[in-house]
Amino acid sequence: MAELSDIKNATIRAEIEEFVTRPEEIARNVALFTRAHERMQAIAAGIIDGDDDLVDKLTTEAIEAGHEALEVMDDGLIAGMGVVGIKFRENFIFVPEVLACARAMKAGMKHIEPILSASGVEPIATVIMGTVKGDLHDIGKNLCIMMLRGSGFEVIDLGVDTSADAFIDAIETHGAPIVGMSALLTTTMPNMGKTIEAFIDAGLREQVLVMVGGAPVTQEFADDMGADGYGKDALACVSLAKQLIEAKRRNAPA
Amino acid sequence: MRINGGDTVNPASIKPMTSRQRVMAALRREPVDRTPVCNPTSVATVELMDLVDAHFPDANRDPVLMARLAATGYTELGFDTIMPVFSIIQESSALGCKMQWEQKDNWPTVRMREPIWTDVDDIKVPKDFMKHPDIVCVLDAIKLLRREFGDEVAIVGKTMGPWTLGYHCFGVEPFLLLSLDDPGKTMLALDRMKEITYLFGLAQIEAGADALTLPDHATGDLVSAEYYKRFLQEMHTEFAERFPAPLILHICGRTVDRMGYIAETGMAAFHFDSKNKPQESMETVHGKISLVGNINNPETLFSKGPEEVRAEVEANLAAGVHLVGPECAIPLQTPIENLTEISRTVRDWHHAHPHVH
Repeated sequence: MAELSDIKNATIRAEIEEFVTRPEEIARNVALFTRAHERMQAIAAGIIDGDDDLVDKLTTEAIEAGHEALEVMDDGLIAGMGVVGIKFRENFIFVPEVLACARAMKAGMKHIEPILSASGVEPIATVIMGTVKGDLHDIGKNLCIMMLRGSGFEVIDLGVDTSADAFIDAIETHGAPIVGMSALLTTTMPNMGKTIEAFIDAGLREQVLVMVGGAPVTQEFADDMGADGYGKDALACVSLAKQLIEAKRRNAPA
Repeated sequence: MRINGGDTVNPASIKPMTSRQRVMAALRREPVDRTPVCNPTSVATVELMDLVDAHFPDANRDPVLMARLAATGYTELGFDTIMPVFSIIQESSALGCKMQWEQKDNWPTVRMREPIWTDVDDIKVPKDFMKHPDIVCVLDAIKLLRREFGDEVAIVGKTMGPWTLGYHCFGVEPFLLLSLDDPGKTMLALDRMKEITYLFGLAQIEAGADALTLPDHATGDLVSAEYYKRFLQEMHTEFAERFPAPLILHICGRTVDRMGYIAETGMAAFHFDSKNKPQESMETVHGKISLVGNINNPETLFSKGPEEVRAEVEANLAAGVHLVGPECAIPLQTPIENLTEISRTVRDWHHAHPHVH
């Protein structure tokens, strides 16, 4: 079994030792980074440091050296953001630091996305994402989108201040099985419920899974609004989207 | 017996107070005849708009409508304060931010994705800032309310702190990244923006406001407690010293980790969110600042009924919270019966606990 000391990159070793405390997450990260090529470990360390120039350079070098785009994304960029997500969840870092890490991730993804698009890899599913009507905040939503895309989902971003009609149009246009709604304000959270009611009125509720999130949103509120799931942060959003889509496919008639 | 917040006092020495006296005493952490009911952000609802025919968005821009809708906090809901500044956008509008005024059932907001400033040197207060209709509206509304209600009820104004102005004028994401990339430049930006806070706040006091809410959203949902200490604690201390009226700092979300720093600023009160437990919060501030709050908006006031509201109000009273009210500006669709339940519960609770002041 892999040990922390087997990870060659000192930054990654130190980060896991200091900030990752849940045994299953330690095991998963140790296994992942032990297996990952040293170049990928360095990319992940650059992500964790929020160093966009370094990630830009290392990603370019990795692709030029013949590493697969998927490998760079999974073992470098996403693996690094996984540690960032844990640090954010545990309040070791806050939004400014996460934004810097996301900026570094974007610097890497700009080299990866064109290759993945050209390769014709099938997305896991399409997710419609938007901040609800009356709310112009989108940092959390954008982080979720970045992590969803990095995890293999196709995301249609409706932006901020999204009306129920815009959500409905997008669901119908793209045939998306999942919708993600975000709100940052307690004053706009009720619009999540209104949007779900509009899905019911439009006869779409049975065909679409609804996940909600945002700083003031809780599981209890999500349940009250009739959502299918609640994600506390971007990592939880990805894991929820995967769970929802797996459950939907499991329950689909053969 | 306990006075508001935790000490003891002879109940016979406390005479019945007007709402204004009660609020001002609670802000000074002096004995009160009962805990004041207060929302330093907004209690505007669609039902109240209909009741007095003063609707959003006009009630944010017309002083007569603004005053009429604000007064319902006192006349209809039984609160001890009137807060005419419903939103957080008046000065941003006057600074030239792109606005979305919305309709009756939605809050006006700043289009933060279209920022007006990208660099510290862009920060400029327009010459006619204090004459802008969205500034004058607030000042005129306060004057109208003072004229109508005299000394009866506390009129609370609102002026945005520099951190929140940074979100509005630079955009949330660019401003937070600037704080990480260049803390020195961020401090300079805050220092320049604080004059806007001061200018608008002082004018409201001169117009008749008894106290000011100062929202400055350095929340634990976005930044660390150390961020608050590094960027804002000294500036907030300066505000508390410069303004000739009590200040109520408002920060949404998780804040208990920074309440110790906030309590040291000399601000009169801190308006806290339901993400922070009343008892723990009271213990954290050590009697150095009054606490205002913290009835949950989305799950309790908006979604549940009077019974659940009552339970939360009682929890705050039992913890000794100095002024009880909603945690933040309430959703516009909040039922009135849940809001009136707050003041009803406070009165009932004090009736049942006559020695607690």
